[in-house]
Amino acid sequence: MDPTLVVLVYASIAAAMGGVGASPLLLKRPFPVAWIGWSNALAAGLMLGAAYALMVGGIERIPLSGAVGAAGGIGFVFWTHAVSGTSDLALNRLDETSPEYGYRVLLVSTLHSAAEGVAIGAAMAVSLPFGVFMALAIAIHNIPEGTVLSAILTARGVTVVDAAGLAVAANVSQVLLAIVSFALIAAAPDLLPWALGFAVGALVCLVLIELLPECYRQAGSTSIALVTIAAMGIVVLLLGGGT
Amino acid sequence: MHEVLTVGGYGLLTALATGLGAIPFAFVRNLSARTVAYANALAAGLMLGASLGLVAEGTAQGSWQTVSGALAGVVFMLMTQLWLRQHDVEFGHVHGVGARRMVLVLIVMTVHSFAEGVAVGVSFGGGMTLALVIVVAIAVHNVPEGLAISAVLRPRGSTVAACAGWSIVSSLPQPIMAVPAFLLVDAFRSLLPYGIGFAAGAMVFMVLVELLPEAYDQARRPAVAVLVSASLIGMVLFQQYL
Repeated sequence: MDPTLVVLVYASIAAAMGGVGASPLLLKRPFPVAWIGWSNALAAGLMLGAAYALMVGGIERIPLSGAVGAAGGIGFVFWTHAVSGTSDLALNRLDETSPEYGYRVLLVSTLHSAAEGVAIGAAMAVSLPFGVFMALAIAIHNIPEGTVLSAILTARGVTVVDAAGLAVAANVSQVLLAIVSFALIAAAPDLLPWALGFAVGALVCLVLIELLPECYRQAGSTSIALVTIAAMGIVVLLLGGGT
Repeated sequence: MHEVLTVGGYGLLTALATGLGAIPFAFVRNLSARTVAYANALAAGLMLGASLGLVAEGTAQGSWQTVSGALAGVVFMLMTQLWLRQHDVEFGHVHGVGARRMVLVLIVMTVHSFAEGVAVGVSFGGGMTLALVIVVAIAVHNVPEGLAISAVLRPRGSTVAACAGWSIVSSLPQPIMAVPAFLLVDAFRSLLPYGIGFAAGAMVFMVLVELLPEAYDQARRPAVAVLVSASLIGMVLFQQYL
């Protein structure tokens, strides 16, 4: 199979998992706030684990270009939050029903997924098994993320099925960026450390700017820490050592 | 005997280097709530970066050992936290939550030095040829750890000298553990991934339970996020290159 097609398939599977995340809402509506917090913490831990995997599994030793890329990734997240007016916006409000708020939340999700797309594309460029590992980590991460987004959307009156569709739609940018960054690195292999650095910086910064600040408002900090660490531990175990 | 003294002496030198981390705080006069938040964010990033480095080192020798060590580290921190909540701790002139955080960061960093000391001893056990390189690397690597400790102590009222002193104390387990690890390399080598995991688990727990929630309370979210991410990546690079 053509390598770009492989990236398309795996990135699409990861993106589709956002829809699976809507399923807990069929069981429980309104969704308890603490569960939203734990879903966020689960997503945060998996994302930190993915960033760790990119750091140790990507290249032997991070070169300077990787460091500059990481600064770029942090800058990208900071800048997109600033220009979209979401820097100080609480992202998980269930009582705010203005259309403008709904669009902003979807915009933030779309930008968030774009950075994850770079992670998948760059990891695929390292090697196929590593790329598949990264796509799987992001796919599992997308499930609790889809749960949080669906909880916000259903609180606004959207049906669970439509929320599942929107959660997948917000991940389309992930598929696009995965393919674009994979193709770019294939054309210019020197870009690899930059792209890996960018993905690490962006993933870490997204956890800290979106996921963790919301968590702490939704559940106690001890339970948040335990869920986050457990999720990180699973990624570390799956990645194994000696790469 | 001579070699034991060398290992211990070098270990002591690396501990002293930790005190250098307090120096930047000699220039921080303003101790507002926002300063505390930024200092927390800095410490959080440094500790997270150090933990990721440790995990990479530990899993190279055994993933399950590292992760079970981390689990033990988290349980240890849960119990320490519980104990500190039940007792009215006092640190310097500080009481209550502030004092608890100060004591916790010292416990975490001290525990983490035990694992590092073992790592030093084991690496010396491979031969004394690279000794000086290892010592310089560990000493330099200890400076940001002193920075992390000072970032928690200083904004809550400790003097710069006290920050430096406590930073050094937190690193004393390094020489203490380096010597037995050097003498019994084989026994300690198999324990190393557990110890490394324990240190990483304890540090990540400390960051997520104590440092980050307070940082988000007192400062704007984007500022905290950028500061933590940048210091995390800075720490990872620092450990790779030095």
